[in-house]
Amino acid sequence: MARTLAMFTDTSLCIGCRACQVACKQWNELGMEVPEWTGTYQNHTHFTDQTFRLVRFIEEPKPTGELAWLLMSDVCKHCAQAGCLEACPTGAIYRTQYGTVDINQDTCNGCRYCVSSCPFGVVAFNASSGTAKKCTFCNDRIHNGLGPACAKACPTESIQFGFRDELVARAQKRVETLKGMGFKEAQLYGADSNGFLGGLNAFFLLLARPGTYNLPDSPKLPQRNVVVDSLLSIGSAVLVGLGALLAFRERGQGGGDA
Amino acid sequence: MTTNLIDIQNSDVIMATSNMAENHPVGFQWVMKAKERGAKLIHVDPRFTRTSAAADMHVPLRSGTNIVFFGGMIKYAIDHNLHFKDYVVHYTNASFLIDPEFKTATDGGGLFAGYDAAKRAYDQKSWKYQLDAEGNPKRDLTLRDPNSVFQLMRRHYSRYTVEMVERVCGIPKEKFVAAAKLFCEASGPEKTGSITYALNLTQHTNGVENIRALCMLQLLLGNVGRPGGGVVALRGHANVQGATDLAVLYQDLPGYHPMPLRDAHPDLKTYLEKTTPKSGFVVNRPKWVVSMLKAWYGDRATKENDYGFDWIAKRASADAYSHQHIFVDMYNGKLKGFFAIGQNPAVGGPNAKLARAALEKLDWLVVQDIFLTETAEFWKAPASPPHREAAGTKNIKTEVFFLPAAPAAEKDGTLTNTMRLIQWHEKAVDPPGDVRSDAEHIYQLGKRLRTLYAGSKAKRDQGILALTWDYGDKHPDMLKVLVEMNGVAIEELRDKDGKVLYRKGEPLKTFADLRDDGTTTSGIWIYTGATVWDAEGKVVNRTASHKKGDEKDYLAHGWGWSWPANRRILYNRASANPAGKPWSEKKKFLWWDPEAPSNVPDKKGRWVGLDVPDFNAFLAPDAKGGDNPYIMRADGKGAFFGPLLDGPFPEHYEPVESPVKNLLSRQQMNPTAKIWKVGDKRNELAGVGSAEYPYVITTYRLTEHHLSGVMSRYLPMLAELFESHFAEISHELAKELGIANGDTITVMSPRGKIHAKAMVTNRFKPFTIDGKKIHQIGVPWHWGYNGVPGLPGSKGDITNDLSATVGDSNVFIQETKAFCCNVKKGVV
Amino acid sequence: MLKIPDWEMTIVWYFFLGGIAGGAYFTAAIADNFGSARDRAVSKVGYLLSLPLTLACGILLIADLGTPLRFLNMLGAFKFWNPMSIGAWGLGVFGLFSLLSSVLSFSTSQQMVGLRRKLSLVGSIFGFFLAAYTGVLLSATTLPFWGDSRLMGALFLASGASTGMAAISLIMFLGGTAAGEGWGKVKKADRYSMIIELVLLAVFLGLLGSAARPLTSGQFAPLFWGGLVGVGLVIPLVLEFVGQRVKAVAALGAVLVLVGGFVLRYVVLMSVQA
Ligand SMILES: Nc1nc2c(c(=O)[nH]1)N[C@H]1C(S)=C(S)[C@@H](COP(=O)(O)OP(=O)(O)OC[C@H]3O[C@@H](n4cnc5c(=O)[nH]c(N)nc54)[C@H](O)[C@@H]3O)O[C@H]1N2
Ligand SMILES: Nc1nc2c(c(=O)[nH]1)N[C@H]1C(S)=C(S)[C@@H](COP(=O)(O)OP(=O)(O)OC[C@H]3O[C@@H](n4cnc5c(=O)[nH]c(N)nc54)[C@H](O)[C@@H]3O)O[C@H]1N2
Ligand code: SF4
Ligand code: SF4
Ligand code: SF4
Ligand code: SF4
Ligand code: SF4
Ligand SMILES: [Mo]
Repeated sequence: MARTLAMFTDTSLCIGCRACQVACKQWNELGMEVPEWTGTYQNHTHFTDQTFRLVRFIEEPKPTGELAWLLMSDVCKHCAQAGCLEACPTGAIYRTQYGTVDINQDTCNGCRYCVSSCPFGVVAFNASSGTAKKCTFCNDRIHNGLGPACAKACPTESIQFGFRDELVARAQKRVETLKGMGFKEAQLYGADSNGFLGGLNAFFLLLARPGTYNLPDSPKLPQRNVVVDSLLSIGSAVLVGLGALLAFRERGQGGGDA
Repeated sequence: MTTNLIDIQNSDVIMATSNMAENHPVGFQWVMKAKERGAKLIHVDPRFTRTSAAADMHVPLRSGTNIVFFGGMIKYAIDHNLHFKDYVVHYTNASFLIDPEFKTATDGGGLFAGYDAAKRAYDQKSWKYQLDAEGNPKRDLTLRDPNSVFQLMRRHYSRYTVEMVERVCGIPKEKFVAAAKLFCEASGPEKTGSITYALNLTQHTNGVENIRALCMLQLLLGNVGRPGGGVVALRGHANVQGATDLAVLYQDLPGYHPMPLRDAHPDLKTYLEKTTPKSGFVVNRPKWVVSMLKAWYGDRATKENDYGFDWIAKRASADAYSHQHIFVDMYNGKLKGFFAIGQNPAVGGPNAKLARAALEKLDWLVVQDIFLTETAEFWKAPASPPHREAAGTKNIKTEVFFLPAAPAAEKDGTLTNTMRLIQWHEKAVDPPGDVRSDAEHIYQLGKRLRTLYAGSKAKRDQGILALTWDYGDKHPDMLKVLVEMNGVAIEELRDKDGKVLYRKGEPLKTFADLRDDGTTTSGIWIYTGATVWDAEGKVVNRTASHKKGDEKDYLAHGWGWSWPANRRILYNRASANPAGKPWSEKKKFLWWDPEAPSNVPDKKGRWVGLDVPDFNAFLAPDAKGGDNPYIMRADGKGAFFGPLLDGPFPEHYEPVESPVKNLLSRQQMNPTAKIWKVGDKRNELAGVGSAEYPYVITTYRLTEHHLSGVMSRYLPMLAELFESHFAEISHELAKELGIANGDTITVMSPRGKIHAKAMVTNRFKPFTIDGKKIHQIGVPWHWGYNGVPGLPGSKGDITNDLSATVGDSNVFIQETKAFCCNVKKGVV
Repeated sequence: MLKIPDWEMTIVWYFFLGGIAGGAYFTAAIADNFGSARDRAVSKVGYLLSLPLTLACGILLIADLGTPLRFLNMLGAFKFWNPMSIGAWGLGVFGLFSLLSSVLSFSTSQQMVGLRRKLSLVGSIFGFFLAAYTGVLLSATTLPFWGDSRLMGALFLASGASTGMAAISLIMFLGGTAAGEGWGKVKKADRYSMIIELVLLAVFLGLLGSAARPLTSGQFAPLFWGGLVGVGLVIPLVLEFVGQRVKAVAALGAVLVLVGGFVLRYVVLMSVQA
């Protein structure tokens, strides 16, 4: 496996211009969607099968009473332990040599299990292709020496692309700087490869608690339930089996008491 | 702009007064860079925008009160001794003495000396310097003389107190003081601050004075010509700078020479005499103008025929031909035909209903555009009572021609951006079908006109016939055009000692080599140097050069080519002290190196540093004029006292439509503002404090859309980014009117009304103006009646149906940033 | 900010029928192996019922795919920790057992009966699997309450068993074979299953606490409490005890159990996706 690539989205540099969102649409030739009224500049409310990058606009009063408008360009996290990948029964979702997570559109059969297995609600089902869609980490571009289209379009380098270890080091420095500037809640999300989901290959710098951005504090791999639930099912099978056995055995031997 | 966007990274404080993050996002990366280095960002805007989101401090002010804000800052800086005294004394006209007859607006009840109420204009005879025996301005370097510019300025702004700022702008005192302190303290040898502006200052009936106020603050703080300082004019369209350079404005010839007047300038000699100052760099105007005429008319321009000066169409002395003049004249039937090249006035013009009604009165209309705009289909406008019963072509006689034009990617050429940087771009693909570039359309039109006029003896046709009009067969060769703009030596040119300076036909390297004897050409003097010859005599296009900046040259002089002379920061002589040394090590930029070789053998000394000197590179600091950084001005000094038609110092007046009385003087609005009277109730205005139109409205852009929207609304990927046309209103106003987020509302002005969805937000807050609550709303203006099929939100009402035909007195810009409206819930 | 997979009625039916098929098969297997000769009717109905249901399951599953033609892709990968992957395999394998057992259920040859009995013991493992895996599948998602519970498989299994038994008893009633002792045994077994299901459900809700809110309050609550707990579990149990001697009442109880089983899948799937 090649050295892991990553995207680092530094929300402290984001100006919400949505160039990334549009660049992604353009490069990936994603179709038109009729938007809904969200009450803010944001569209759409969440990732769709045609929107892989989504800039979120969060109006939040600061503790001082001043207004903050948190701008965050959200994307598939390319989790080191990816719920979607684990869930995929066909093997359509796979990990590339660079550590990114992609969906092979020729293999996907549209079962939608991945949709319900992403802790961030990223994957979406596309009815016309009958397959699941999400950010590809611009697989076609990175394999040809180009960075992701969204990172390329970003005017403020809010989206940075490179080797994961280098980006993490840079991100950590940036958090320190921001803290020094008074951003007390500045924090990295998903940079720690010992943290949740084994770390995110698309990680973030946030200016507030993850919850403010509608991100789970500590997302979990859904497959963690499989073993316990299976064991309990076996237990249930034993009970039910015993019951049936009882019902059939007792009468069968005793010649019937009906 | 006096500086270069890249240089903003050196600012210690940036005061963004426009919405830079949203409208100049690529340039904004340098603000973010500065912030990463620890700079502070202040955003001054009535609403909280994406720029405010990135800012350390958002200062909301009521639209149209900018001069009170800047005046308050000027007063604050002077009162707290925060101005950069050495800079002010040596590099500005603060020390110059003014005619004792002159009176500031403080002493004239809001008017300066010389106002003539009947003419609604000033007699400026007292607005001048006191001169000594040699005719030089008198100065008082202590700045104490009551008639000194400094003392007059101080007196003028004595009313602009912190309390006044609070009462007029609605900025809480503490907030204003914090902002003033933060910005004004970034002054002196060690610090610089820059101020960005765009339409937030221009689109007012005192637009030019707004900008002057900003410039004065920057001069006072010594923030011009120095790294990290500057007046950052953020311009609009990708090539609007190029367009103004090349004189799309009616009052200029290419390179900012005044447009000749029919009566005042009967011949070249008179024109040059009247428009050329006695001192300063512009004394060279005759060389530039003659070279321009040689470029236009070639061999047919001779000394004997005034180089063809007579062939230029002259402007009738008193008339102006601004956008608004044209449309009022069109409405009044004075115009028969109209060419709209890359413009969509049916949506983008102020008072757009008037604009569309005016188009109906034309005999013919040519629209040359990359899309079928609303202007090209103006008859499709939905009815907007009371002015038209129903839309349709029945009663419209205008014949419309549409010429499909190729956009930038389908043609070669240059764009000149907001930092005067000229960048060449190559054609990426051929235009489809019969689509042609604008250059080809115009070239072919010129050719056909010349065929049509061939043999004509009529005087008015001679100019067209005399033109050099030969840039290739079908499509003009754009490099040829660029070389013509640059200028060439018509014959071999030698210097005084007989050394060959230029071979015959060689492009000129600098405008310093232009001559007024007909031996050089230059279509536009400021572009001279953009193209040169290599050793073999092949043209090198410097605008196409792509060398990125690095540590040695952070301003990237090898990336494109910037006029004038590829310098990136104007007035950069001011980055050194009067003795020619950097003000400080930290802000070192250009300095006098007494050991460097001069241009004269055996002599030493020249200006060196990180940029091309915007100064005579060999003029020593202690020589005469050696401390005059403002070379384009006759006196070489930055002007605090700078006469415009509405005054030598900016004075606050309320917008033409305002909910409140002017608290600074009895003069409610700019006494020289241009207000058009148009028939059929097409330009009604709301009275001061009108109960019918109680709210302030401002109109603006969104990152996601482009201007009249044609280039964004027609593209699904962009059009879908907003669900529909909307208006931003505060929770407080929404509550008063019972409006919920997403409700359809009606916004109305005396000119018209529109429907849009209400976006109820904390990003707008009511202002407290003189103790009274005043609401302001904001409406983006990108929507029109055309759009993407299947995407309802790509169409919407035209915001400019609300705005008025009123203008600034100097340049007649519209007042679309501050006027009055009413808001009602539902479709009224 | 999670996404729902839009699994709708096809999947509800799939889960429901899969439960019955699995439950019926293993009931048949137990009757076959451990019951008396008079229980033969039970096992025959059970085997024969499981076959068409399994077939229907396969069709429903494929029909629900975005790209049905690529169903076989599921079999191109085998992920033993992935319920969906082994589910597809398991369904196929179970189908095979169900087919064999059904064919053999017509045989009277001692040899074949012996084979059938042995086969059905292995097959009922897959029967249990089919009834339970859909629940495990749901609990291995990130959606609220699906992903929060670890008893979903156990609950689905108990419900599958109970509906399988109810289906057998109903068919026997309708087919007129409800006279024998076998019928009574199925109903008794069902009674145990229902009790187990009820207990599991209580534990399930208890463990989930507020996470179970999509079920226990809101739009789906009436259906959950009335349709599943009331109609599907409590009433049939009461009927079993009160009216066990009246065949029609017992049959009605079986119908209610089936309704309850359907409601369980329906509310579980739909409440989260509403
Ligand atoms: N994405 C995008 N970029 C663009 C354009 C576009 O259409 N879309 N248009 C281009 C063009 S042509 C131009 S000219 C520029 C314009 O660039 P800007 O001038 O930044 O554009 P606007 O959004 O019209 O106005 C800026 C801000 O002025 C505020 N404002 C209103 N009144 C006042 C006031 O009195 N004082 C102050 N301080 N602020 C006030 C408004 O709230 C608004 O946020 O943008 C260029 N860039
Ligand atoms: N209320 C309100 N009104 C405003 C403003 C405001 O802030 N508020 N801002 C004002 C400002 S600053 C401006 S600049 C104007 C802009 O107003 P307009 O210039 O009228 O509007 P645009 O949409 O920029 O029109 C440009 C047209 O050029 C076309 N075009 C693009 N490229 C080419 C090309 O290469 N060749 C040709 N031939 N056509 C091309 C586009 O399709 C588009 O139709 O609006 C002004 N109006
Ligand atoms: S964020 Fe979701 S879709 Fe992306 S890799 Fe992780 S689990 Fe998969
Ligand atoms: S929908 Fe496609 S990608 Fe998602 S889990 Fe199913 S087969 Fe895999
Ligand atoms: S990496 Fe590529 S696919 Fe993913 S969001 Fe960015 S542009 Fe879109
Ligand atoms: S392009 Fe960059 S600055 Fe713009 S919204 Fe995306 S991340 Fe933010
Ligand atoms: S639209 Fe073009 S000119 Fe405007 S910011 Fe983007 S790149 Fe620059
Ligand atoms: Mo503009």
